[in-house]
Amino acid sequence: MSEREKFLKEKISSLVPEETELESRGEHFNFQAPVTCSVTTSHSIAVGFGDGKVRFFFEREKPRIIDAHNGVVLSIATNGEYIFTGGDDGRFLKLSQNGDIVEIANFNSRWVDSVAAYKDSMVCSSGRNVYIWSGDQKKAKSLEHSSTVGGLAFDHTGKRLAVSSYGGVTVWERGERRWTSKRLVWKGSHSKVGFSPDGKYIVTSMQESELHGWRLRDKVDLAMRGYPAKIKSFAWVGDTPHLATSGDHQAICWPFDGKDGPLGREPVCVADCGKQISTFIEPLTGEKAVFVGFNDGSVLLSELDENKNPFVIRNPKGSEISAIAISPNRSYILIGDSDGNILWSTLWKNN
Amino acid sequence: MNDMSQVPVTVLTGFLGAGKTTLLNRILTEQHGQKYAVIVNEFGEQGIDNDLVVDADEEVFEMNNGCICCTVRGDLIRILGGLMKRADKLDAIIVETTGLADPAPVAQTFFVDQDVSDRTKLDAIVTVADAVHLSSQLGEHHEAEEQIAFADVVLLNKIDLVDNKAVENVQTRIRKINPYAKIIKTNHCSAPLTEVLGLNAFSLDRVLEVEPDFLESDHDHEHDDDVTSLSFVSDTPLDMDKFQAWFGNLLQEKGQDILRSKGILNFEGRDDRYVFQGVHMLMDASPMGPWPAGKDRSSRVVFIGRNLETMNLQEGFEGCKVA
Repeated sequence: MSEREKFLKEKISSLVPEETELESRGEHFNFQAPVTCSVTTSHSIAVGFGDGKVRFFFEREKPRIIDAHNGVVLSIATNGEYIFTGGDDGRFLKLSQNGDIVEIANFNSRWVDSVAAYKDSMVCSSGRNVYIWSGDQKKAKSLEHSSTVGGLAFDHTGKRLAVSSYGGVTVWERGERRWTSKRLVWKGSHSKVGFSPDGKYIVTSMQESELHGWRLRDKVDLAMRGYPAKIKSFAWVGDTPHLATSGDHQAICWPFDGKDGPLGREPVCVADCGKQISTFIEPLTGEKAVFVGFNDGSVLLSELDENKNPFVIRNPKGSEISAIAISPNRSYILIGDSDGNILWSTLWKNN
Repeated sequence: MNDMSQVPVTVLTGFLGAGKTTLLNRILTEQHGQKYAVIVNEFGEQGIDNDLVVDADEEVFEMNNGCICCTVRGDLIRILGGLMKRADKLDAIIVETTGLADPAPVAQTFFVDQDVSDRTKLDAIVTVADAVHLSSQLGEHHEAEEQIAFADVVLLNKIDLVDNKAVENVQTRIRKINPYAKIIKTNHCSAPLTEVLGLNAFSLDRVLEVEPDFLESDHDHEHDDDVTSLSFVSDTPLDMDKFQAWFGNLLQEKGQDILRSKGILNFEGRDDRYVFQGVHMLMDASPMGPWPAGKDRSSRVVFIGRNLETMNLQEGFEGCKVA
């Protein structure tokens, strides 16, 4: 090998990123199907895949595989104990962490796009309809909307259910005898929806690469714009709290403290990843810090402080991050991508 | 829109009873060794039962992007996104539209939505037309005209039910609206699937092959909002700045009436051929390599739409020529 070649080899190998600490101590899987969704239950992390399988990850155990859907697992939710999944086989399923499957409903060629759960209530959407089962009811209560439902979310009390669709959000409230609704209007197509942890705001991600929010007290509109890509993921971080969002070269975190939330205020921008676009956001439970997954497969961890440097958690593997979840007692992390790769690792050293 | 990993999407239009379901059933049942997903609308003519059939609502959404005629199919964004998460990769996707659907929002979805255009590509718009009824449908429903105007392929079906003269007439009628569509005459939609799927008609390099099958005669207007087509050719190079100013303004102001546009452009001082194609106000454009040696460098532009004669297209195009 000539001096020049040696020089080049050294130069090139130093460009290849070394394994991160989590990568070297974690387990690596490839499941041959895109990771589509994930949720943390009382004892495990449940992950949905593009081949219809659900895998439960328990700490210090091998993953448990459940053949759930005959197609893509489109959506997942938990009430803590059970998980609920919607699939492109039109089925709405209830799965126990032991692997028992109960089919709650079957809509055949109509997909079950969104699901949500709170204690003894379980909800799914198929087309324009939302179906709610509460307590021991065998028959679902059906709530119709004017267009296909984009997303579903309960508030922290389980009394209100937000349903996004074209033109805004319908907020259903559980009364003594029936569900009543009010409509929050904003032009455009709304998909993912969520309440702020205190229940005072509702936020949606939109087709137009922006977020829309409403302060529920007076329906004041909050437009959060300037993203180069669609916002596929958002999450509430810290006690303040901040709404951390994907869809940019970093995580864009809007402040929701004070009485006006983000109105007229600048977001905190952390975990800059150069040209890549962030695709998944997961808070580090109990901390003012966020895991940010990108379209090249890299994952950074950053405090919500623009002056702090982010940590590299996972190096780019080439395909988009589609799941990040933290285990129930905060000791493990799961990272999944759209090529079916899973990194399952202890979160802290000497765990 | 040129990545190899994009799954091609064929849009199947045509009036109720023209034979769309016959074609869909063939696509789903014939032994072709390909994996197709079919997105059907809720008013389908008859049930098609297959694991890879998805029900859709044909929801047309307006985009808040300042483009007044920019509508997209919201359900398609959702369903194509879901299909791309499958573990088994699809060879193609077919989208059936209702008989009264305007094909524009479907096509525009591929221009507007980044996720859709990253993972899938619009392959072609295929319109199934009923040789018996097309003429009367064209007179009665502007949607029928639009479906012909947008078509890359017209399957002229049920030709066994009419005589040769009538087939001639209906073909002439199609040509007046759209001189670029390939017309395939069939019974029971029996055309080879290779002539219907995998055509790559929306790729920019296919624009280079566009050779209009124009009628010589001016046609008579049957009513004011007839869809027609116009094309212009120039051997004099065009001024890039002038063309961009004229064309940009034209699409902005008249985009609602211009259903489809295509062109190959020879700009002064540039070695590359510039190619574009548009649907209403949206367009895709790119340099497509140098002009072939020994061939004429002539610019060609084509418009299909309504009220084209009021847009001073000839003068506008002439005005872009280098003085």
